Amino acid sequence: MAGRAIWKGAVHFGDLEVPVKLHTAVKENRIQFHLLHQPDGVKLQQQMVCAYEKTPVPAAEQTKGFELEEGRFILVDPEELEETEPQSSRLIEVHEFVKTVQIDPIFLERLYYLEPDASPKGYNALAAALEELDAAGVCTWTMRKRSYLGALQARGKLLRLNTLRYADEVIPVTSLGLRKFSLSDKELKIGGDLINQLTVSFEPQKFANEHLAKLQGLLEKKARGEKIALLRPRRLPPTAPDQLLKALEASLKQVA
Amino acid sequence: MKTPEPRPGAAQQSSSPGDERAVHGIWSGTISFSLVAIPVQLVKAVEPGRVSFRLLHDKDYSPLVRRMFCPREGALVPPEEIIRGFEIGPGKYLAVTDEELESVSPERSRTIEIVDFIDLEEVAPVYFDHPYYLIPAKGGEKAYGLLAEVMSRTSKAGLAKFVLHEREYPVLLKSTAGALALITLHYHDEILGAEDILPPEAEVDEEEKRRIKTSIKNLLADFDPRKYADARRQRIIDLLKKKAKEQGEVEAPAVAEEGGEGPADLIAALEESMRRVKQQ
Repeated sequence: MAGRAIWKGAVHFGDLEVPVKLHTAVKENRIQFHLLHQPDGVKLQQQMVCAYEKTPVPAAEQTKGFELEEGRFILVDPEELEETEPQSSRLIEVHEFVKTVQIDPIFLERLYYLEPDASPKGYNALAAALEELDAAGVCTWTMRKRSYLGALQARGKLLRLNTLRYADEVIPVTSLGLRKFSLSDKELKIGGDLINQLTVSFEPQKFANEHLAKLQGLLEKKARGEKIALLRPRRLPPTAPDQLLKALEASLKQVA
Repeated sequence: MKTPEPRPGAAQQSSSPGDERAVHGIWSGTISFSLVAIPVQLVKAVEPGRVSFRLLHDKDYSPLVRRMFCPREGALVPPEEIIRGFEIGPGKYLAVTDEELESVSPERSRTIEIVDFIDLEEVAPVYFDHPYYLIPAKGGEKAYGLLAEVMSRTSKAGLAKFVLHEREYPVLLKSTAGALALITLHYHDEILGAEDILPPEAEVDEEEKRRIKTSIKNLLADFDPRKYADARRQRIIDLLKKKAKEQGEVEAPAVAEEGGEGPADLIAALEESMRRVKQQ
């Protein structure tokens, strides 16, 4: 079942307008921890503390500033900030379409399902058209006082909307300072053969969270007062550059 | 606890590995596939572009810092006295150490073992969660370069799981412009079904569909996210420029670094005094 509807709007381009409701699409399943004070196990609270006086500061004495450089700020009124908020609108404006394969997953942020909010005629036709063309609509909209960039896609009969990161939020690979290493044709060939040998089809339903159950087991054991055997993680010794070809060949032999 | 700042799994924090906001690696370990092992560091790949403001004390414009406070003692708690706890009843917690958490899946705590490779195009976008980069550690550069190059040539991606603190992340490793990107995935059972919101009538109006396909084709372009900027961010920057001109800036009182003098200074001071002794 889809998550609850969080927003209503309409997909728009040309003379088409398709009213939709946005639903959340993912629900994470995890164990929640809290921060405690070690001596007495009391649950801790977060407080904002003045870096100069080292004392907690109540909300009424807090103000907002933009840091120009260490210790120098421009003060900003909340009312003035509010004025920079985008004008509210109910339109998901599609600017252009791209082939879905062109969207690097690094840009994908959050996924919503779209539910038709009126007669499904336009919705169904749009979903079918996008699916047949393998296209995604690049769109912008305003939701809860924020402007979003997104990709509108179809999967089967369903329309989905993925928010996208703005281009300048993605750190360029060039800033990682990677050095190029020369690789021999043989290394590349055997590396390719090995990866092809190890390739299977993507079956996400087989990928279960085994860790969650083990963690629950650990907590139950601790709750019963049993002692936990501590296991240290091991670090694998790295494959030396002059041993790479040998390791690839031995790997290939093993899987072939 | 070693790190005083918000960390994955800390209460009230969204626990993705990027929360540590470290300049250096978020995590270090080894990628392995078959008999090849590559030492790597995990670093962030995205940085939220929102213009961020700091909270200040209105009295003296000192920046405020987030600290943990013990309500029973009415006092701030130093980082070494903070532990992780699991709630077993109202107000009752079970303390769990980092070492115990690592013991749950020790083999996945320091190794990203690629168990399968897949065709990248088979992965539906719904599975992608959060991206990071991996960078090679010393000695791993060549094998790293090989894995990136071969995955790029074959359009493959590697599937693995790794554990950071209390959470296990299914991840996908892919090649991007000569680097390895690691994208955390959602587990299949975390993705909600959509049967309940599908249109009640499945019928497609063929005429309407043809019309839409024509307009899509007319608007088809290459994906270039640089064309789109966050309009609000620019407006905030304009506002800040205006305010800087009109009202100027304020200055916070200088604060001594927490933790006092570092050991480097102490060693330098000792060496300096040793040198003087020798010269005499």
